[in-house]
Amino acid sequence: MMPAERFESRTRISGILIAAGLLVQSATHFWVHPLAFLTFLIIGAPLVAIGVFTFLYSLLMERN
Amino acid sequence: MLSLAIIGRLFTAVVLLMAVWLAFRPDLARGRGGKVFAFAILFLLPILATWGGGTEQMETSKQTRFCLSCHVMTDFGRSLYYDDPGYLPAAHYQNRRIPRDQACYACHSGYTYFGGVKSKWRGLRHVYVQYFGNVPRPNEIRLYSPFPNATCLHCHEGARTFEEKSAHHRDAELLNRVRSGTQSCMSSGCHDIIHEVAGINEGTFWKETP
Repeated sequence: MMPAERFESRTRISGILIAAGLLVQSATHFWVHPLAFLTFLIIGAPLVAIGVFTFLYSLLMERN
Repeated sequence: MLSLAIIGRLFTAVVLLMAVWLAFRPDLARGRGGKVFAFAILFLLPILATWGGGTEQMETSKQTRFCLSCHVMTDFGRSLYYDDPGYLPAAHYQNRRIPRDQACYACHSGYTYFGGVKSKWRGLRHVYVQYFGNVPRPNEIRLYSPFPNATCLHCHEGARTFEEKSAHHRDAELLNRVRSGTQSCMSSGCHDIIHEVAGINEGTFWKETP
């Protein structure tokens, strides 16, 4: 795989992870319950964090 | 007018759509300008949206209906409606001495720098017990530690009704003992009628719990 294709592939994965995380986070705002708080904390926020790190990693790898 | 919560949700939705767009068109991130664009959509804005969402979750978790959403807390919610001013939480709730929408949080979180964080930590334990442990009966639920006078004094200290109340001057040292924490506000004979959920079915109520 060419470096540019690899960067685009990682950008795609990052976008999907971030979108999934934000979708989960958005859903939790419609439910007032401790499980919604936990879902935000354990699923929503980590998905966004992994997506952000994937993007940063792809930027670093492309630079190298 | 749009509330902050609505603006936050709209912002999250926009960032979500932009992330989806970039996921389907990763070629937009090519070149210097594309990378700056992607950096905003896949780094800055999601962090901002998550921070805002987390803040909203923290605020939501202070709400009375959040605490009462677990079945075991139902009787504690009803106890706020006892038709008797002798019941301490009911008197506070019904006379708006505490914000009604944050009634549990107002008295059961410490007014210290990490008071809210400690409350969340205890809350995680409650969720664990709710789903994986033995859920106690409402009348078996006890505080982890004696109720701190500091929580009462946070609002009552300096108030005229508190300073001048005759019962608080039954002996000269009473208020000093309360302030130093050597005598609880909820000592026997003082403010010792609290939620009393054991007899809740025999109680009379100001209103039915909404």
